[in-house]
Amino acid sequence: MLELRNVTKMYPSGPVALKEVSITVTEGEFVFVVGPSGAGKTTLTKLLMCEERPTSGSIIINNFDVNKLRPKEVPLLRRSMGVVFQDFRLMPTWTVEENVAFAMVVVEVAPRHIRRRVAEVLSLVGLTNKRNQLPGQLSGGEQQRVALARAIVNQPSLVLADEPTGNLDPETSWGIVKLLLDINATGTTMLMVTHANQIVDSLRKRVIALDAGRVARDEEGGVYHG
Amino acid sequence: MVKLRTWGYFADSAGKSMLRNSWMTLASIGTVAVSLLVLGVFLLVAVNVNTIAAQVESQVELTAYLGKLSVTERQALETEIKALPGVTGITFVSKDQAWERLLGWYGNDRAFLAGWEEENPLRESFEIRTDSSHRVAEVANELTGLSGVEEVLYGREIVDKLLAITRMIRLVGIVLMCGLALAAMFIIANTIRITVFARRREIGIMRFVGATDWFIRWPFVMEGLALGVVGALVSASVLAWGYYLAVRSLVRVMPFWPLVSPWPLLQHLALLLLALGAVIGIGGSTVSLRRYLDV
Repeated sequence: MLELRNVTKMYPSGPVALKEVSITVTEGEFVFVVGPSGAGKTTLTKLLMCEERPTSGSIIINNFDVNKLRPKEVPLLRRSMGVVFQDFRLMPTWTVEENVAFAMVVVEVAPRHIRRRVAEVLSLVGLTNKRNQLPGQLSGGEQQRVALARAIVNQPSLVLADEPTGNLDPETSWGIVKLLLDINATGTTMLMVTHANQIVDSLRKRVIALDAGRVARDEEGGVYHG
Repeated sequence: MVKLRTWGYFADSAGKSMLRNSWMTLASIGTVAVSLLVLGVFLLVAVNVNTIAAQVESQVELTAYLGKLSVTERQALETEIKALPGVTGITFVSKDQAWERLLGWYGNDRAFLAGWEEENPLRESFEIRTDSSHRVAEVANELTGLSGVEEVLYGREIVDKLLAITRMIRLVGIVLMCGLALAAMFIIANTIRITVFARRREIGIMRFVGATDWFIRWPFVMEGLALGVVGALVSASVLAWGYYLAVRSLVRVMPFWPLVSPWPLLQHLALLLLALGAVIGIGGSTVSLRRYLDV
C-alpha cells in the first residue's frame, strides 16, 4: 500500500528535512502522523503527493514506485489518492456540487456517472441540501466536508489528510474525524497529519511521531505525546 | 486520448477567461489584426505590382526618345528603323501629342501641370512594334546605336524596375510583419500569463486531483489560438473589404491597369493570415506556459 524505505530528503538550502525514514502502512490502516513544526511532516506529504522526489531511498505508493515514475505517470499516482488540506482549497465561485464534480471532470469521467457519484458522496458527507451553495455560504466544517467529498469521489485507496481540522473548532473537528473514520471503515487507508492531540489521544490509532526529520516513535494504539 | 466532451470543457474555460479579461482579449486580438493587416496590405501591393510587371513584359513595344532632329533627319531615321529585322511598325509621337497624352493621363488632376505648356519638357519619340517579345531586347540594342536616338525604353527595363520595387515592398512587408508578429505574440503571452495567474487556484486543484499536464495546458493553448485566429479573421475581413473598394474605384481611374481579381486572391490571403494567426496565438501561449505554468 504505502512503503517508505530509508527515505532522505535534503533541500539545497537548509537542514535535512527527512533522514532515513522507513514507514510501512498496510491497506485499510488508520495512521496519525504527528510531530512539532519542522519535524518533516510537510516534506512527507509532499513526497507522498509526488510534488517532490526523495534525495535517496524508495517510496512505493499503491504499487507506484515513485523513483521510477515518469512525469507523465504522476497524475495517475495522484488519482489513486485523495487529498484534504487544512485550507480546504475549494473554488469560491463554484457550487458545492461543481467543486466535487471537478475531480471527476479532470479525469474524464462520463457526465452521467459524475452526477450519480457526486450525489452519493454528498449524501455521505451530509451536504445533499447544500449542493447548490457556494463555499463562502458554508461554515468551515461544511467546507472541509466538501473537500473530503472531492477527495473520495474518485474512490481512492488512500486518503492523505494534511491537518484537516487545523482551521476548525474542536466540535466541528470531531465531525470531520468521524467522517474520516467512516471512510476508513469502508477499506480506504487513512493517513492523517495532525496537531490535534485530543483526537489522537482518544482514538488510540497507530501514531507515527516525527522529530527533526526522523521517525521518533511508531506505535499501535499510540498517543500524541509519547 | 482526450474525449470530445473534454474539448468542450477546454473551449468553455478558454471562452470564460477571455470574457473575464476582456480588455486583454481585445488588445491581443487588435495587435494580431494590425500586424496581419500590414502584412496583407504589403502582399496585395506586391502581387499587383508583379502582375503589372508581367503585363508590361508581354508588350512588344519599344519607345525610342529622340534628340533634337530636323524633319529630314527624323524621316531618314524612321526609314532606317523600319529596315531593322523584327520591326513590324513604327509611329511618330510629337512633343504636342506627348503633352496631350500626359494631360489625358492625369484627367481632372491636371492643374499641377499648368505653366508647363509653354516649354513642354517632353521629347519626341518613335513607338516601335516588334514581331515578338523575344525580339524586343535585340531591337532595343540596335536602336541605341543609331544616331539621333537619345534613349530607348522598353518593357524589360520597366519590368526590372517594377520587380525591384516588388522585392522592396515584400522585404519591407516581411520585416514589418515579423516585428509586429513578435509584438502580437508578446501581448498574447502576457494575456495568457494573466489567465494563468487568475486561475492558479484552479490549476493547483487540478494538479492534486490528478489532471494530466496537457489537460491543464489545453485551455490556455486554446485561448491563445482563439486570440490569434480571431485577430486573423478581423484583418482578413478588413483587407477583403478594402480590396474590393480599391478594385472598384481604381477600375474607373486607371482602366488600363486593372488590379488582380479579388477571387481567389483574397481566399488564399485569408488562409495564409489564418495560419499565421494560429501560429502567433499558439506561439504566444506556449511561451507563457513554459515560463509561468510549472507543470
